[in-house]
Amino acid sequence: MSSGPPVPPRSRGVIALLEENCTVCMLCARECPDWCIVIESHTEDLPPLGPRGRPRSRNVLDRFDIDFSLCMYCGICVEVCPFDALFWSPEHSYAGDGPTALVHEREQLRDWMASVPPPPAEDPAGAPPD
Amino acid sequence: MTPEGVAGRLAALLGAGTVVSGTATVDVERTRWVDAVTTVRDDAELDARFFDVLLGVDLLDEGFEVVVRLWSLTGRHAVHLRTRCPRDDARVPSLAAVFAGAAWHERETAEMLGVAFEGHPGLTPLLLPTGFVERPLRKEFVLARREEKAWPGAVEPGESTPNPRRQPLGAPGRRR
Repeated sequence: MSSGPPVPPRSRGVIALLEENCTVCMLCARECPDWCIVIESHTEDLPPLGPRGRPRSRNVLDRFDIDFSLCMYCGICVEVCPFDALFWSPEHSYAGDGPTALVHEREQLRDWMASVPPPPAEDPAGAPPD
Repeated sequence: MTPEGVAGRLAALLGAGTVVSGTATVDVERTRWVDAVTTVRDDAELDARFFDVLLGVDLLDEGFEVVVRLWSLTGRHAVHLRTRCPRDDARVPSLAAVFAGAAWHERETAEMLGVAFEGHPGLTPLLLPTGFVERPLRKEFVLARREEKAWPGAVEPGESTPNPRRQPLGAPGRRR
């Protein structure tokens, strides 16, 4: 998928979306300084799990767009996501023939997940986990 | 030299000097602006002869502040000098004769903040299009892109459009 010379670790090429982890909390869209994330969702009712349960509702994602013509690659959305739904991918060759070609919708953001590298190995000199 | 040491030397030279956010800083009247910067530049003890940056800050009712940052290559310490001018009289003497490199920074500050630098050799605009008369770094400047587009964060979870009956959630920067 990637072409050209290798890029260094933690390179910020494009932002990928792991939709299964997204709870539509809107934090990324609200923190984005460039207003480049647009999210739409609806609420779905779930039947009770058992005879004594009660119905639950959950948010279902309808639309998740990132406009990379506005994005300044600050990574605040990746940092702020409490459920690890957004990831940096080093993939950077996605030039388009106009600004609209840089609006990546949820399917395309999901496809970028394939190029997300595995997390770096634990640093033996790092602080111990809490 | 430590910031406290630099501030002490500033107090001896100019009668004032504090440490603000870890950097020795002195506020001077704009009538003394050129003299103060020249004094700091020529002081052998401070040796702050490297002009780093000059910039302007919009302080709303308190007018505009012009900040210059000097650096000592030998002592590895910084000196910040600040001066203020009122909004309706946005004029500050130019430092172009003290540091030639300051001329470029003053051109940019004049263009973006609308502060006139008196004695500057030529305050020609640098970046803005011809005929652009607004001052983009003044607080009252309205960013057109922010006016024409709705804030995407106003949508609550489970919504596609903001609920008109709810008190609208203010976008960052408009919450004041």
